[in-house]
Amino acid sequence: MERKLNAELWDKMHYLFRDFNDRMVHVELHYDFEIDVEALKTVLICFFEKAPVLHSSFKDNHVSPYWIVKPYRIDDVLTVSHPDDLDEAINTFLTQYIPPDSDLQMKVALFLKDGKSTLCIVENHMCMDGGDFKYFLKAFCKNYNDYVEKGISPIDLREGTRSYEAVYHDFSPTEQRMARNLYKNVCAKDDHKFPLTPDSIRDRSFIARRKIDADKFAKIKAAGKKHGATINDMLVAAYFYSLYELAGYPESDSVTISCAIDLRRHIKDVSDEGLTNHTAFMQCNIPERGQDIFQTLQYVVHSVNKFKHDKFMGLYGLPLLKLGYNILPHAASEEIIKIGYSNPLLAMSNIGILEVDKLSLDGHEPVDGFMTGAVKYKPYVLLSATTMRKVITLSMCVRGNEEDEKTVERFFDLMEKSLDLLIAE
Amino acid sequence: MESFIDYIENTLQGERDDATLYHFKRQLLDKMTERANEITHSGLHDEKVLSDLIISEYPDLPGAYQKYRVAAKRERREKLVNKIMIFGTLALAFLLLVIYLTVSFLTDAWDKTWLIFAVGFLGWAIFLLSVGVHRISRLRRLFHPIARVLQALAVMCGASAIFLLVLVLADWTKAWVLFPAGVIGIYLADAIFAYKTGQKLRIINYLVYILAASPMVYVFVCGLGLLPWDPGWLIIPLAVLVDVVLIVIKMVQNSKYKYRPEVDAAWNEN
Repeated sequence: MERKLNAELWDKMHYLFRDFNDRMVHVELHYDFEIDVEALKTVLICFFEKAPVLHSSFKDNHVSPYWIVKPYRIDDVLTVSHPDDLDEAINTFLTQYIPPDSDLQMKVALFLKDGKSTLCIVENHMCMDGGDFKYFLKAFCKNYNDYVEKGISPIDLREGTRSYEAVYHDFSPTEQRMARNLYKNVCAKDDHKFPLTPDSIRDRSFIARRKIDADKFAKIKAAGKKHGATINDMLVAAYFYSLYELAGYPESDSVTISCAIDLRRHIKDVSDEGLTNHTAFMQCNIPERGQDIFQTLQYVVHSVNKFKHDKFMGLYGLPLLKLGYNILPHAASEEIIKIGYSNPLLAMSNIGILEVDKLSLDGHEPVDGFMTGAVKYKPYVLLSATTMRKVITLSMCVRGNEEDEKTVERFFDLMEKSLDLLIAE
Repeated sequence: MESFIDYIENTLQGERDDATLYHFKRQLLDKMTERANEITHSGLHDEKVLSDLIISEYPDLPGAYQKYRVAAKRERREKLVNKIMIFGTLALAFLLLVIYLTVSFLTDAWDKTWLIFAVGFLGWAIFLLSVGVHRISRLRRLFHPIARVLQALAVMCGASAIFLLVLVLADWTKAWVLFPAGVIGIYLADAIFAYKTGQKLRIINYLVYILAASPMVYVFVCGLGLLPWDPGWLIIPLAVLVDVVLIVIKMVQNSKYKYRPEVDAAWNEN
């Protein structure tokens, strides 16, 4: 008999985002040894069985969508190859698109070259967000190690509800009612765009990356401390400052960047939650560019702090979305939500630290790696940031052309310049 | 697989050995074997991992067995009710016929004994409708409106039965008031259903029902002569007043759940 899984609110929302991005989440990890392919397959199968949404096909039913669990073969999930051009192989793999109605929602590639391994994973954001993907990777490495070293079966992966409602469970009954009454349309209302070229059918997906070295990371942290700002605030400030220069916004313009926030902050214990999405956005707004980057930073800190002091941070709009999806059939509710929803043109997601000790395989820590969000369709952009070994990797996934690639590279140059200004004092 | 059998036998050791337990074990083993075949087809060949993986999908067998027992018991009861419903209708028809003929011949009150048939079948209809309401209310909320319609029919059948009894046996001229009373009963029963099944926004049901029931209460009370028709009509504006009071109480209750944080302004700024 066909096994069906409920399509949760965030699954439907990410499905709705199909007009704005390709919904893929990407990760790339480099190891200086050859990963055991058979062990890798065993762990992957166990994880796919523990999280059946990873081998399910999304059925866009007009009344109520759902997932259908599909049979699969591990060789369709995992590609093992010995490429001549590693970078080319990685880029080709990472920029692939997995349609939601396909039988698999995650693809893994293992590239072996000169006794080293590169592990790349692409997954559908409808299944889980960056927060749970990070957990997935850590659990994956732990299970791999336990299996290879001690022969323990790799079945230690969280299972449970994928419902968005988990964010309410640790509130008191009064707080729950308050949170469930936050009917607010929390969409970005800013027309400032990243200066990309107009859409073209010749556009292709690319992932631009820039590394901020460990030395500079320490300086950013120290400078942030001096200004009462976090590393995230420093990055957002640099993002704002660089954008004004790159896009030529008038200095007096107020600009908004939507920053991803992990709603798991509201969940005390996630151990009985399934892999899912718990991400919302907060609007970081500055009233003007400011006289210098330090003033920009102060605006950012002020804006971010307002959200940080809110006990229901990120929970605005959820009741409205739920209502939207509940009262009407899916096809109609999508149309209604589309009317009220405006996708942020400028966004940022600080995925955080990729802990090398927890991502080590068979005693080998990853030497390099990063995680990044979906490939955005113009004019939308998302700047992702991950930190590994105190090296920040900034990345931007865009569907564009060579000129767009140059623009993104110039943006990264400006980001570096802005960060240099911030740490100069 | 032997490991599955061992796991099932060891975990369910303390349970009473009967047919239900055997069926549970058999179904479980079949499911586990099917899963094992499925996962082996996906490419997992390590027997130990396969076994651990599948066993991990059944972490609480005694708990699952208790649920199975309860479900099996309910299924047996439902089958019995189904049998009663099918054969009961025929048996009831026969029984009512016997009673009707016996009472009629003994009393010679043919003008009244037909009530045995009418009330008997109305009572049977109430039983069937109640079974329907009970079963449908256990389904998804999507089906609850059907249960509510059946419940309304059951209430109306009850009111009709009482009406016939009172009219024929007591020759009560005001028996017609039982029909507006039946409508009030429908609203009341539906409000209780909404409350018991935790329907969302049921306050709207209550508000509408109070308004809709008020003319019926007016007719019922004044028809019985408990109140004169004038100023009995005041019941209707009184219902409006009750609604307003309810709305105010609800608004006051809800206002304490209103959250007005500083960030509210931030959203508006943006």
